[in-house]
Amino acid sequence: MCDVSDKLVAWLDHELPDEEMSDVERHVRDCIECRKQLTSCQQASGTFDAYCHAVLASKTRRRLQRWAPVASTAVATALAAALFLVLPRPRVQPVISPPSVRTGSPPVVVGTAPPAVKAVHRRHAIQRVQSQSANGPMTEPAIEIAVSAESIFPPGAVPEGVIFTVDVSIAADGSAQQIRLRPQLGGFQRRVTEP
Amino acid sequence: MSGDSLPIAFPLSRFASDACEVTDLYRELRKPLLRYLVCLGLSTDEAQDTVQDAFLSLHRHLASGGSNENIRSWVFRVAHNQARNRQTSYHRRFGEPLEAEIDVMLDRTTPERLVLEKEKFRQLEKAIRQLTESERGCLLLRAEGLRYREISDVLGISTSTVGDTVSRAIKKLAEKCNV
Repeated sequence: MCDVSDKLVAWLDHELPDEEMSDVERHVRDCIECRKQLTSCQQASGTFDAYCHAVLASKTRRRLQRWAPVASTAVATALAAALFLVLPRPRVQPVISPPSVRTGSPPVVVGTAPPAVKAVHRRHAIQRVQSQSANGPMTEPAIEIAVSAESIFPPGAVPEGVIFTVDVSIAADGSAQQIRLRPQLGGFQRRVTEP
Repeated sequence: MSGDSLPIAFPLSRFASDACEVTDLYRELRKPLLRYLVCLGLSTDEAQDTVQDAFLSLHRHLASGGSNENIRSWVFRVAHNQARNRQTSYHRRFGEPLEAEIDVMLDRTTPERLVLEKEKFRQLEKAIRQLTESERGCLLLRAEGLRYREISDVLGISTSTVGDTVSRAIKKLAEKCNV
């Protein structure tokens, strides 16, 4: 083995004085053994550098992976919260009782969305309905309003011909004491009773 | 990796030029320093902290009128010493087998190439474990682009010793890896 062999790595790293650099260069051109060794050193050096990069990348990746479940849970939670806020809340359904035999005056038919229906959606009115309907049968309503299904439900949600009757009883102070929404097969009834 | 900004607030008037220099250096040296420290065996968190501490020291050093010669090796030396204090299993973990994720990191397309790379790394790991501490240190600093003079500065050994050590270490690796 020739003595230039010890200088090969330093030559690769440009760490030799100028004249030695050219000496080694000249030698390597002629000496097959040194050329072989040079290639081998270059390869080892390249692999080592690549390995250092891989070590950092591997550790960084593992750290990211450790946090990945936490991050995905956070994203899922945020998404759920966003959906909850954006999506329409489920409506509080008014108490719907089965059709009953009525003895009062015939209902007033309202074609479009009635303001009365909207008004009774207020919370205190509904709460009162629920608490009273549990207590016993409803007293005779003071007002009956017939509402077409299309005015409160989207088209197609309710079978055709069904109408709703809103029974409202008024308390002594004039507020709505009891509200009841009753579905009725309006069209069918009419067809039967007409002839 | 997070934390790309330098976590130091610089007073703008007095140390404006220092601040500029430190910021530039940080940008240049952050990744190499991190890699060096992680290869020494620090965890990524420890390495990040160490890098930040080192730059904090650099800022103090420059602000108190310290010399800005050989600043690259200065930062590496500070980081190196802090790493030694911090890490009891210093140098122990470098050369331990990397996990299977290695194939994701190696962007080689063909499976044959991948197998070859993995095999190369496995041989290299074996060879690295047989190096002396100073051989590993020299090679790691060299891999980050430091000159022999700078490496001697960081490790506190003479430049000629660095040259000999690097040469010996590379040849050891070459012997075991390029069979």
